[in-house]
Amino acid sequence: MNNPFADPGARRDRLALLAYALAVLAATLVHDPRWLAGGLTVTLLLAGSGAGGLLSRVLRTVLPFNLAVSMGYLMLAWLRTEPPWQTLLLLNLRVLLLTAITFLFVRRVNLFRALGFSRSLTYLLGLAYSQALTFRRAHEDFRLALVSRSPRRPGLMDRYRVSAAAASWYLEKALAAARESAQALRSRGFFDA
Amino acid sequence: MHIPDGFLSPQTYVPAYAVCAGLWVLGMRRLRARLDEETLPWLAVMTALSFVLMMVALPLPGGSTVHAAGIGLLALSFGVWMSFLAVSLVLAMQALLFGDGGITALPVNALAMGLAGSMAAWWTWRGLRRTNESLALFAAGWVSMVLPALLVALVLGIQPAIAHDTAGRPLFFPFGPEVVLPAVLLPHALVGLGEGLLTLLGHRYLTRRRAQPA
Repeated sequence: MNNPFADPGARRDRLALLAYALAVLAATLVHDPRWLAGGLTVTLLLAGSGAGGLLSRVLRTVLPFNLAVSMGYLMLAWLRTEPPWQTLLLLNLRVLLLTAITFLFVRRVNLFRALGFSRSLTYLLGLAYSQALTFRRAHEDFRLALVSRSPRRPGLMDRYRVSAAAASWYLEKALAAARESAQALRSRGFFDA
Repeated sequence: MHIPDGFLSPQTYVPAYAVCAGLWVLGMRRLRARLDEETLPWLAVMTALSFVLMMVALPLPGGSTVHAAGIGLLALSFGVWMSFLAVSLVLAMQALLFGDGGITALPVNALAMGLAGSMAAWWTWRGLRRTNESLALFAAGWVSMVLPALLVALVLGIQPAIAHDTAGRPLFFPFGPEVVLPAVLLPHALVGLGEGLLTLLGHRYLTRRRAQPA
């Protein structure tokens, strides 16, 4: 087996993983909105030409949960006659910063290489990830199939039926994939000493 | 049920990571003896299955949606430790490969959903299976959804008390348990019915299929 520490790419990815962990910790230890806004600016600058896309993805991801929490807090503060703005600014900036750091990390670092110190872990992650990608594509296909085959907006029962059919398909596919992978591992002597 | 990043204080997630890391190592050690060319692909594929089950959103009357997690199914099919590791892997994949979910929330979610949810499912099934197998499977699925929701709600609810500034303003999740407990528990008690059904049907299906020769 290759020594992952000898691979400069793996070393760089492992250092990036460490830097990411430290950045996340720092973002939760700082409680001044100006510092958090500064951190967000630096993260977007590091994203370079992809900054617009990164920010748009971050906003789309955090909007539903943050909007619900912010509206709830706004109402609570209004009932208690407290000014809510500083808390809301702090909460939302922190969530934006943490999500932006994570998305930048995901975009820039090869996690499989960073975890290359364990063969079983890399294999497990690789197999689970490839299966998850297959299932995610199938999930989108099921959704599009329902929309394209329904003359009207699908009703509650239609969607339940499609969900049940999809779950059954995933189980079948999972069983077949597990069997194929087991045969592949056996034929390659993966667990032979 | 997932907690996004930015709502848990370091006082919460740092000790949770310490506990979780210890349990991950322990779980991997316990599993290593069972890890072979049959179990490794099973764990990987069931991890992916759990990942996709979390994507199958079931619509609720009123416009909102909920999703299953497959924790009961994983725990009963592979045992508590493998289920804990698989759910942890799903959460890590969601956070680090798909950019979905929180890295600071990962250990709390893993402990609540992966460990407590799996243990609750396993022991509920063990306790009830002599009375009625179907009821035991259904209850195992339901409890694997509701207990983690309760734990997550409690962790969120204590944030204003443990992390606030000198003026008493919250620094992380801003609502106490009196708000967050009913808001989280009521929908999950309903989602748990779907999870119970999934566990009942899925476990029977898997047991039947695994008994068949390849």
